[in-house]
Amino acid sequence: MEVIQLHDVEKVYRGKVHALRGVSIDVMEGEIFGLLGPNGAGKSTLVKILMTVIHASKASGSLLQKPIGHRSTLKKVGYLPEHHRFPYYLTGKEVLHHYAALSKVPRNDRRSRSSSLLSRLGLSGWEDKKTSTYSKGMLQRLGIAQSLMNNPELLILDEPTDGVDPVGRREIRDLLLELKDEGRAIFLNSHLLSELEMVCDRVAIMVKGKVTMQGTIDSLTKDSKRYEIEIEGNLPDWAEESCDSIQGTMMIVHGDNASSIQPIIDRLRSEHCTIRSVKPVRENLEDLFMRAVDNTDAPGAAQ
Amino acid sequence: MQFKALLIDAYRQLSAAKLFWLTLGLSAIVVILYGSIGFYDDGVSLFYGLWDIQSDELHSNSLWARGLYIGIYSSFLVNIWLAWVATILALISTCSIFPEFVHSGSIELTISKPIGRFKLFLSKYLVSLLFVVLQVSIFCVGVFFCVGLRVNDWNPMIFSAIPIVAVFYSYLFSVCVLVGMLTRSGITALLITGVFWMGLWSIQTTESILTNFVTQYQVDIERFEEGLINSEASLAKIIEKSPDDSRIERRQERIDSFRTDIEDSKEALNTLDKWHGPISWILTVTPKTAQTIGLLDRWLSDPDGFDIGAIMNGDMEAFENMEEIDPTTHDARQRETMRRMREDYETRSLWYVLGTSLLFEVFVLGLASWYFCRKDF
Repeated sequence: MEVIQLHDVEKVYRGKVHALRGVSIDVMEGEIFGLLGPNGAGKSTLVKILMTVIHASKASGSLLQKPIGHRSTLKKVGYLPEHHRFPYYLTGKEVLHHYAALSKVPRNDRRSRSSSLLSRLGLSGWEDKKTSTYSKGMLQRLGIAQSLMNNPELLILDEPTDGVDPVGRREIRDLLLELKDEGRAIFLNSHLLSELEMVCDRVAIMVKGKVTMQGTIDSLTKDSKRYEIEIEGNLPDWAEESCDSIQGTMMIVHGDNASSIQPIIDRLRSEHCTIRSVKPVRENLEDLFMRAVDNTDAPGAAQ
Repeated sequence: MQFKALLIDAYRQLSAAKLFWLTLGLSAIVVILYGSIGFYDDGVSLFYGLWDIQSDELHSNSLWARGLYIGIYSSFLVNIWLAWVATILALISTCSIFPEFVHSGSIELTISKPIGRFKLFLSKYLVSLLFVVLQVSIFCVGVFFCVGLRVNDWNPMIFSAIPIVAVFYSYLFSVCVLVGMLTRSGITALLITGVFWMGLWSIQTTESILTNFVTQYQVDIERFEEGLINSEASLAKIIEKSPDDSRIERRQERIDSFRTDIEDSKEALNTLDKWHGPISWILTVTPKTAQTIGLLDRWLSDPDGFDIGAIMNGDMEAFENMEEIDPTTHDARQRETMRRMREDYETRSLWYVLGTSLLFEVFVLGLASWYFCRKDF
């Protein structure tokens, strides 16, 4: 079942900036969905539309089976905005209680969840300290704890690992996988492609207000699968016509099927060519991202 | 639950500000100074007995004592301390509440919760008035005990200052909120609110001065008309008794003089009305800050006239003989003008003073909430 279903979402800002040009996205129950894109692609605008922070110029679709903008549904959604700011005069615990109360979480639940989340996010001992004394990474962890206070069915995180050290990042990644195992859907908006690659079931790449690619990382990189056969010394004369392309002393054969390279290897062996390596290669998310961006000329804001 | 959360948050925000405690401390000093005024059998004592002033009119058994003590509260403590100094401190403390509320990174967290934008805006606005309500409440409790202990008047009407000052403050704060929302700058909001307040003060002062002149001319015209009627009657009697009397000419000159004065006064009144009308209209549609605070004076003044207004008019000694003052003197004219003006202000309805002012506030808040509800953050 879809937890987010968006069709043809458009947003034109008053300055005539066309931030979103008919975006359609589906996020399924229990999956981690990653939204990627260069700066100004419209990712945050899309997230803000989902959370009613921004009004769409045109939108149809649903959030947890209710129309976009349905207030009560937000009770079941956890949200961490990018560059969030907590009131400096509140302690970590007070922050959690305040935002949970705004999400109509009963007091007893607030008490129990705040302690367990602070401990889960590694903030034990800091609960009674003012947020003005927190480091950026700690604020980010507190933000994630805040987004989980209402025990959400859907979690929308905008740059959740921003400012977090590598250890913290790993902890957050593990937490996301645990949350996924609990059956929650997670919508991630991030620049850290390697992070996303490790946790996302499906991704969408947005460029200039449009979704240019969407699907599982496997399906999106399927066409890029290839074998690279590297030879010591010069390539034989027949090499060019028996593979898809040549790079120096490397023969490249596109495809996912290992049997397609067996005749080439046999022939090389029969001609006593020394094979240095045979590597199955697949595009990673970064390559995919760069390809998506390159295909649309240049990164940057939609106009 | 959501309103309570916002209320608690507002309290935490205010109590985290040093200015909140500073204002509270200053309020405490004002109450302590107020409580230092006492009355004994032969006069008044100041600074808890450090300075005694003997007085025949102001002593522990005098009716004027209560009028003076309550009057100091309603006319000075409320008018000067609460309506000026404490209000300025409150505006400085609260001017950044809304700019911080709508600040990028902060507003997204709040607005994405299951609470409607209008409800959120209104709740935030109401809880932001907490600063003033808390400060004035604590102040009133202090004053209540001072009045009770000093003049044995346990007057619950002292607490009417809480809603009055809160409403007065809300007129200004609504403008501060609108500007703060539009500019997202606390300093700009504070400055523009200050200019707006000065504007209101100018309008009210101008209206008051013009009303004073208009009333004076009306009193003059009435006096001249009365004089004219008397002179005409006197002339008629003289003519009837002795048609050749030399006084006839003098009487005629006096009658002519009265007529000229009436004409001149009416002309001046017409000229003033051209200004008085538009200024009164502007005052009608804008918040009446002075008159709102003046309500407290109205509600706390002594029904028998033993109040601070009379004391300041110098009525303490002349009180018994007030009715015998010569009505033709300049003093009487001034006194009559003041009496009529006071009557005019005191008979202005609550609807006029509070209703029209609150309508203005609703209009300003309507604009601010409309902006807040439509804004993409």
